[in-house]
Amino acid sequence: MNLAIETEDLGKRYGDVTAVEHLSLRVAEGEIYAFLGLNGAGKTTTIRMLLGMIKPTTGYAKVLQTRVRLGSREPWEAVGYLVEIPHSYPELTVYENLEVARRLHPGTPREAVGRIIERLGLAAYADRRTGNLSQGNAQRLGLAKALLHSPKLLLLDEPANGLDPAGIVEVRELLLELTREQGVTVFMSSHILAEVSRLAQRIGIIHDGHLLQELNIDELERSRWKRLLLRARDVASAQRALLAAGQPAEILPDGAIELKNASAVERPDEVNCLLVKAGSPPTQLLVEEEELEQYFLRLVGMDGGPHNG
Amino acid sequence: MANLSDMIWIESRKAIRSRMPLWTALGSLFVPLGIAFLIFVAKNPAVSQRLGLVSAKANLMAYAATDWPTYLGLFGQIMAAGGFLLFVLVVSWTFGREFADGTLKDMLAVPVERASILLAKFVVVALWSALLTVVILLAGLVTGALIGLPGGSAGIIAQGSALVLITACLVIAVVMPFALFASVGRGYLLPIGVAVLTLMLTNLVAIVGWGEDFPWAVPGLYAQGKSPLTPVSYWIVFLTCLAGMVATYLWWKFADQSR
Repeated sequence: MNLAIETEDLGKRYGDVTAVEHLSLRVAEGEIYAFLGLNGAGKTTTIRMLLGMIKPTTGYAKVLQTRVRLGSREPWEAVGYLVEIPHSYPELTVYENLEVARRLHPGTPREAVGRIIERLGLAAYADRRTGNLSQGNAQRLGLAKALLHSPKLLLLDEPANGLDPAGIVEVRELLLELTREQGVTVFMSSHILAEVSRLAQRIGIIHDGHLLQELNIDELERSRWKRLLLRARDVASAQRALLAAGQPAEILPDGAIELKNASAVERPDEVNCLLVKAGSPPTQLLVEEEELEQYFLRLVGMDGGPHNG
Repeated sequence: MANLSDMIWIESRKAIRSRMPLWTALGSLFVPLGIAFLIFVAKNPAVSQRLGLVSAKANLMAYAATDWPTYLGLFGQIMAAGGFLLFVLVVSWTFGREFADGTLKDMLAVPVERASILLAKFVVVALWSALLTVVILLAGLVTGALIGLPGGSAGIIAQGSALVLITACLVIAVVMPFALFASVGRGYLLPIGVAVLTLMLTNLVAIVGWGEDFPWAVPGLYAQGKSPLTPVSYWIVFLTCLAGMVATYLWWKFADQSR
């Protein structure tokens, strides 16, 4: 397996402040990897270290099998990136800004500018100065600059920032298409788990500069809390029946009965039969999954919700 | 130096489309027009009487610039001080804007030598400053002719113009280190602040007689044509320019860029 990104014990300190510590990541070629963390968790610092803009205080990073060094020309020919807010030269038009980006990537054909303008839906704004662009279109321009030279690897810092819901879907489909059809690797940062779970195959969760967990998307599904909530007319006798059947049932303050064990969550129909036979048929059965954001907050120790504890 | 022509295209495009060269050229016209106005006032007693304080300054100016050689000499001296501030503005904008506008990050992880990107910036700064010099000089020659200065011949005017142009070249060389201040300060304030301090220091150094060894005093001494500048002075100017460019390159290559 070829690695598009590899870091070993990567770390960055600013005086007494640790921005990133002991970060060891492996991102395979053709993979979409989401780097998830709250604001200030160390996502942008990591991306800047991967791009050779910041020198790590410990460890190293390899991008497309090339060790990243400050101020080096390699391997940026095959890398496209978007870091933080996508700035552009406000006095130049969208077309001219992309022409600047094209010349910064020698060998990129002239027609690439027109193609990327069409693809990112910027045709109507091509001759508009970028100082007058909306936040969403500025984000599209940032993505266009990253994609202009048909890179093999995309490093995208919060790519959905400023986009409207239609734009988010459009960008998601574009990234999926690039991965599927051209084998492009995408390393993207975000602070919204629900957004990346629809796109990424693997997720790394960073908090306070440390990688807390790395998991595949199916592992994410398994790791989230699930529970069966049921209501009955006679709650006490329903609970007795469940306890007698070996189901640890708890009555919640709102009068609902909560079942957390896997057999109940995976087979609510059997729970229903059991209660019907016991003479306490349920009036409501609901399998509830932990919200992605709730799961994320639980992982980073900021959970205050009903699953806590 | 691969891709230099593309990088020069980028830098000149950014400068031209910003209209900054136009604004600085218009601003620089105030120098010859101001001098011409003061000489005009001094030569016309009726206007002079009505203008009071301006009249006193005008008399001083007229005393200093009564003919073409002194008039162009005055331009050389103004170029050494005013041109210095103007060219620092050009350098500060060219380098500092990448930090102020947040566009620097798009130039860092690219398959183009950092040296090519920076050299293109220095080339554009030099061309832009040279253009401003030509604008100031041409406007000065036209206004000088309009106010009817005596003592002008083709040879004298060519000699005086050469003095202004060489002074400007020396100033362009000594403003290059301000690219480093714009980069370290990540914007415009630090280089402009340091430029004001440098002007003050230059006056001090010139008073105590060390001017020929202080690179920022050399253009002024050259424009005055009195002080005995040695080849060492010109070497100091050249090395200051080179050191400024190399230091800027090293900073762009090795400093953390977190903006």
